[in-house]
Amino acid sequence: MSVEAIAPKKRNLSFNGDDVRRMCTAIAGGLVLAIMTGPDGAISDPTYGVKTSLLTGHVVGYLVIGVVIGCLLTYRAKVRDGSWRRVRTTPKRTLIERATSFSAIGRGVLLAVTAVAVAIITLIFADFSGPVAANKMSIHEIVHQFLYTRTYGYLILALALWFVVVNQAMRSIPRPLFLLGAVITILLFALTSDPFLPARFSWRALNPGVDNSLFHHWTTYLWLIIGLAVAVSWMIKGDATRAPRPPRRSHALVVTPSMRFLTYVLAGFVVFEAPKFMSLYWQISLYQQIGVFCLLAIGLNIVVGFAGLLDLGYVAFYALGAYVTAYFSGALPLHPPFQLNPFFIIPFAIVFAMLSGVLLGLPTLRLRGDYLAIVTLGFGEIVYVLANDWTQVTAGSAGTGAITNFSVHLFGINYAWDPVNPLSYYYLLLGILIPAIFLFDLLNHSKVGRTWAAIREDEVAAQSLGINALKYKVMAFAMGASTAGVAGVFTAVKVGHLFPNTFILQLSISILVLVIFGGMGSIVGVLFGAIVLQWLPSYLNFHSYFGFQEADLYLYIGALLIVMMIFRPQGLVPSRRRRREILDSEEGLGSADSLGPITAEQPS
Amino acid sequence: MTSNDPIFEVKNVTLRFGGVTSLNDVSIQQERGEILSVIGPNGAGKTSLFNCLTGVYVPQEGSITFHPSAGKAISIVGRPPHRVAHAGVARTFQTSRMFNALTTFENVKIGVEARQKTGPIGAMLKLPRTRHEEKHSDERSHELLEFVNLTHRTNTLADSLPYGDRRRLEIARALGTDPKVLLLDEPAAGTNPSEKLALAELISRINTELDISILLIEHDMKLVMSLAQRIIVLNFGGVIAEGTPQEIQSNPLVIEAYLGASDEAKQ
Repeated sequence: MSVEAIAPKKRNLSFNGDDVRRMCTAIAGGLVLAIMTGPDGAISDPTYGVKTSLLTGHVVGYLVIGVVIGCLLTYRAKVRDGSWRRVRTTPKRTLIERATSFSAIGRGVLLAVTAVAVAIITLIFADFSGPVAANKMSIHEIVHQFLYTRTYGYLILALALWFVVVNQAMRSIPRPLFLLGAVITILLFALTSDPFLPARFSWRALNPGVDNSLFHHWTTYLWLIIGLAVAVSWMIKGDATRAPRPPRRSHALVVTPSMRFLTYVLAGFVVFEAPKFMSLYWQISLYQQIGVFCLLAIGLNIVVGFAGLLDLGYVAFYALGAYVTAYFSGALPLHPPFQLNPFFIIPFAIVFAMLSGVLLGLPTLRLRGDYLAIVTLGFGEIVYVLANDWTQVTAGSAGTGAITNFSVHLFGINYAWDPVNPLSYYYLLLGILIPAIFLFDLLNHSKVGRTWAAIREDEVAAQSLGINALKYKVMAFAMGASTAGVAGVFTAVKVGHLFPNTFILQLSISILVLVIFGGMGSIVGVLFGAIVLQWLPSYLNFHSYFGFQEADLYLYIGALLIVMMIFRPQGLVPSRRRRREILDSEEGLGSADSLGPITAEQPS
Repeated sequence: MTSNDPIFEVKNVTLRFGGVTSLNDVSIQQERGEILSVIGPNGAGKTSLFNCLTGVYVPQEGSITFHPSAGKAISIVGRPPHRVAHAGVARTFQTSRMFNALTTFENVKIGVEARQKTGPIGAMLKLPRTRHEEKHSDERSHELLEFVNLTHRTNTLADSLPYGDRRRLEIARALGTDPKVLLLDEPAAGTNPSEKLALAELISRINTELDISILLIEHDMKLVMSLAQRIIVLNFGGVIAEGTPQEIQSNPLVIEAYLGASDEAKQ
């Protein structure tokens, strides 16, 4: 991204405090990323991790990211507020557009040169930023990097980015070449990002004769199918996008479909590939602390963020899902009519949690504000007390028996999830989490999401349009509950034994904090909240900074939340709608949720 | 006007809040296709009447019957507001109640969508029916915005609209529900004279072009006298007069009620 390439002739080049703040935030973010991805500390020297990641070359890569993001943000803001409006005398002609006027050979040379340049920059970046490499920039080290599959992932990402830019500008890539490129890209992606392949790269994986080859993993074929579907759909859409587009009003960065796709690829790469380089401790945290809580947070986000209902007993549904799993595993004193593989328990957990959500919601969702919070709080306590004291059914505080593990026995495939390997659970969880994220996002931008927004803002007005507010609130409750039920299954199976004191009120509040911290109503926000807030205790615990003790956790989180509420009440990454609502309600216009007292019109 | 095709029949409705009687034995009939205006001094019970007609308040006595089409009768009393709206009664509010954080277009779209059948599963999976309904609601919302002349504000957030536009948006949103009768609660409050003219034109277009009956509460007598075909005057929760604008203007009871209560009649 060259800011200079589209430099205007006249513009106000002054920077204000906002720009400085933006830049500092981006750089600080880069530093935090550097620490997060840096080496782990040692018990004897707790600050080792921070020192190493900030003093070695490792930090350079992340600083570069921070500066680049800061520049992009500043550029975007400046263009948006009009102080950097571009002044042009001739129509826009970018470097790549000019290249289309070259001959075929010239174009080929240009393509090759830019591709190689991108590859080299990527390799240097990989050298600086990678947790595995020795962080010394030398030719030898760069060559050494080829031993690691991660390097190839970086390469593919950079080349894909380059390809998207070139393809958008040139639109001249023949279809067979396009498909071939897609197949090669996907195979390379599978080779570098497949969870079942080792971290150290080996060409052996490409040899079909070898036992552990790429072609023996079903995931490879999954990638192929997904990738080809995307490529073909691009080809079909290609003709449509060639038509002249309507002029855009805004000069700001426009998110094109291919940019969005690339963001998904980038995020997917990190999510699929990064865990393989983590130590066992972090892999366990990733599943049990972060992954499961991401699922819980996006579930609670439907209730709190989308529908605007305060639910303080959310953990009850999580507990129900977990205990349903224990029941159908035969781990409870009360024996089930038939035992099930956890995969088949998931639908039962969904239905059971959903039903209890509906049963709790129907009578209580007529209540408003504080009353609803108190009733849900009570429900959470009831479930906890039942789990703790109804020993004939739940085995009480002694804990349940062993819960059946995930396993697949289908069409000759026999695979049992290994309790020692948290990654296998993690990838399974992703299989639920990623579709859930996309489905809930669709939901939020559909009729249902708009209706929730309407109820949240003005229930009386919504009802006057024929919207059954109770129905939509119960719907939100049931969907949130069923998501928690699924999370319960995943926790129960991984932990193996359930204890009632897992499901205390504190946990409900913790999940609520994730949602509020991240930004109510924004799926990206709550995921961010869940990742940051769940990562933090694991990190502090691991490095034992400042004599950190697990029991102090809520002290820190409480302090963080207070600071947050003062400076950024809408959350870290708020949804546009919610941010607007909070601003409105501060000005006394409408309410930010459907909790406040209803202001029915007084008789006139 | 056929007098035996009513759209609203209100018979002997009495509404009390504790010891206060807000509506006392009110009987009103509105004909199909009619612009009927309800006027009266502040506190006369006009908005209470609206709230009874839309199911927000449940009167203690009396019956309210809504006829969505000739020969069909629906009792409003005891019906929740959203089902009244479904039957074909749309309304606007005295103090404008927009969905402020949503755009103008989204506000109207919610009104249109309230009648559609898409559920959460359809919305998540983008089933054919959802796509179809989405397309329909987009088209309809654009039509309505054009009808109320708000096309230039399509992507503006509702809370940044000027007051007159807000009123028109509220009307567009109500029209989105495809109503048979539209209840307008002081639509001209807070608008300037030119906006008032545009509003009067819009209301008569709704009545003639869309064939929707209109029940109008308004303090602006010029607007009422120019629009209404019939006027009902409320005072202290009871009907004190009923008739054409000319009759009302010369009715001694009305003059007394108005001159005694406020000086709005002089305007």
